[in-house]
Amino acid sequence: MKEIVESVISLLPYMVEPTITAIKLFFLTLLFGLPLGMILALGRMSKLAIIRYPIQFYNLVMRGTPLILQLYLIYYQIPKWIQMYNPEFRFDRFTAVVVGFSINYAAYFCEIYRGGIQGIPKGQYEAAKMLGFTKTQTFFRIILPQVIKRILPPLGSEFMVLVKDTSLAHVIGVAELYLFSTNQMATRGSMTPVVVAGVFYLIMNWIVEKGFLVLEKRLSYYE
Amino acid sequence: MRRWRNKMAVAVMAIAMIGTLAGCGGTAKKGNTSEQVTTNNQTGEDTSLSLVQQRGEFVLGLDASFPPMGFTNEKNEIVGYDIDLAKEVCERMGVELKIQPINWDSKQQELDTKNIDCIWNGFTVDEERKKSMTVSDAYMENHQVLVVKADSSYETKEDLAGKVVELQKGSTAAAALDSEENKEFKDSLADTILIADNVKAMMDLGTGCDAVLMDEVVANYYLAQNEGKYRILEEPLSDEEYVIGFRKGEEALKDEVENQLKAMVADGTMSEIDNKWFGKDVSTIANEE
Amino acid sequence: MSMVSVSNLKKSFGKNEVLKDISLEIKDGEIISIIGSSGSGKSTLLRCMNQLETIDSGEIKIDGQTMVSMENGHPVYAPKNTLREIRMKTGLVFQNFNLFPHFSVLRNIIEAPVQVCKIPKDQAIEEARELLKKLGLSDKENSYPCELSGGQSQRVSIARALALKPKVLFFDEPTSALDPELTGEVLKVIKSLTEYHMTMVIVTHEMEFAREISDRMIFMDQGVIVEDATPEEMFQSKNERVRSFLGKFRC
Repeated sequence: MKEIVESVISLLPYMVEPTITAIKLFFLTLLFGLPLGMILALGRMSKLAIIRYPIQFYNLVMRGTPLILQLYLIYYQIPKWIQMYNPEFRFDRFTAVVVGFSINYAAYFCEIYRGGIQGIPKGQYEAAKMLGFTKTQTFFRIILPQVIKRILPPLGSEFMVLVKDTSLAHVIGVAELYLFSTNQMATRGSMTPVVVAGVFYLIMNWIVEKGFLVLEKRLSYYE
Repeated sequence: MRRWRNKMAVAVMAIAMIGTLAGCGGTAKKGNTSEQVTTNNQTGEDTSLSLVQQRGEFVLGLDASFPPMGFTNEKNEIVGYDIDLAKEVCERMGVELKIQPINWDSKQQELDTKNIDCIWNGFTVDEERKKSMTVSDAYMENHQVLVVKADSSYETKEDLAGKVVELQKGSTAAAALDSEENKEFKDSLADTILIADNVKAMMDLGTGCDAVLMDEVVANYYLAQNEGKYRILEEPLSDEEYVIGFRKGEEALKDEVENQLKAMVADGTMSEIDNKWFGKDVSTIANEE
Repeated sequence: MSMVSVSNLKKSFGKNEVLKDISLEIKDGEIISIIGSSGSGKSTLLRCMNQLETIDSGEIKIDGQTMVSMENGHPVYAPKNTLREIRMKTGLVFQNFNLFPHFSVLRNIIEAPVQVCKIPKDQAIEEARELLKKLGLSDKENSYPCELSGGQSQRVSIARALALKPKVLFFDEPTSALDPELTGEVLKVIKSLTEYHMTMVIVTHEMEFAREISDRMIFMDQGVIVEDATPEEMFQSKNERVRSFLGKFRC
């Protein structure tokens, strides 16, 4: 018992950096993925087939192929194309992961938004129209606040999946929590590092879940 | 009619996309190596060494979980025999060593996209790898060995007939097992399991598998770490050599690193590093020719 | 003077022709009831007059402004700005209220005056409170729609429409979604609006109410106006379809 506690304590100082990397990836993915998802969602519901179908296809590819493969392609294929014109180009690992995660998660967010927006009764649009609201006002003042309340549960799940998915960044050599713990597992020949990493992921997701419960509660004043 | 048209449109796009993806894969495999060579041929000279000197930085790629060659220590520092060698080489070259952990599966891509200058991490050469990389002279010998639990009854390869063997995917252990000379042994096994790394395989010993096929140097390290728990079967499956992998065509850089290693043998530095990690002289860099 | 003018209006949903050549004049200050069985086209007519459905053919004018007219055999709608101006002259009370669930009662009423008409917030609130008082909802201004009964919800939605001071107020079956015991309070409120001398067009199934409040009643059946008459004339109509329809309400 004392041994385990000691080995856990000896791990902790070195876990700060990889954990921060994971958290940074989480927030940057949201920063770019959430707005991009909204743009995609609006296009996905466009009346114009030339906008709607490509986005539908994009979502299929992004959601229908493993994120891990997408990361490989982004990090190892794109630089080759750019290097044809600029041989000195180097793709920063972390940037590549943020790009990969953002464009992948945008597709999931797009579908969540779409579900939320299409679930708003037609009467809300009609009432807004009759009261003279412009389309922009209608969207931002009437529709979006209701959409947010509706999509909180699926969005919460997606955020939790994202926390865990940050571990995939290791495939292109980003030193995040998973890579750290498996390297330590190799070094120490013990499972303790991966168990501790698991606890870290769990704590992060516990905070995410709590955050969403608070938000849901704050929006529960109406139905 | 309309519906049918929509379906057609989706189908056409899907085919186009699959084509694009396949195209990427194709160029990735064939294009990169020849591309690299031509870049060097175009100017008629090999600029690999001067570029590294100009940058003042030499980027070493490794999968930092390969003790004792290159691995992460308990303080999350990357250390190892290879790292000590590389540090010494870089110091002598007057450049800084940058250590870049990579995913071992993507080592070729890491070289091709120029994110790293070399693969130096207990890297075993085989004919396939020689085609897509420029490799150094062998600097150390290695064997593929079978590790079993100390208290198990296995003594020879034949004892493992009908048993399960685990090994690291993409490693030379896999290549060794698939080779002609080991065909009989492989066929005698009930199953072989490919797993992400050796440690996971070691943890499976006794429960998920009966033996782990792995590099001797790594096996020795684990045996030292876990005294009395494991045993190595006497007869190795194959003999191998560790080399340093460079981008195809970058001979100048390779030659410089080799020369520095030879100089280290000559002035005794190599022996010091050998003894620090293995307790004896292991380097084979100055043996040949 | 004509407040609403509809001529030769046609509207189909797919192969189903819902409105067949409807023409109708409504004078300023007039109170009109439109009656008829479900599927007779009365709600669709109302929605066409409120730009919630596009028409296939015909002309509509509101307060002298052309909403849509025929050019080369096709209906052409006025420019966006004109359409918006027209919309600001009309109000619509929906069958399902369509209150904004995330806004309080007060905010439901003031949002459009403040955001659309740019009326100062204080003034909008003051006017809204007056409306709430008149509609008997003074104690509900901070409630949310989910906390209201159907009758209260419908009264709030009437207040919301009134806050924009429309020249014509349309009602699309305002009591159809309510429990019978709640219809009374809404009808009472609608009746009380007659003092504003506003033009009102009410699609309803409440025959007694329609009879009491209307200047004119319009009976629609299968997409056409069958009878357009005063309440007295309507209830003594010789037309077989009118008689059989009204007969159902006298039990």
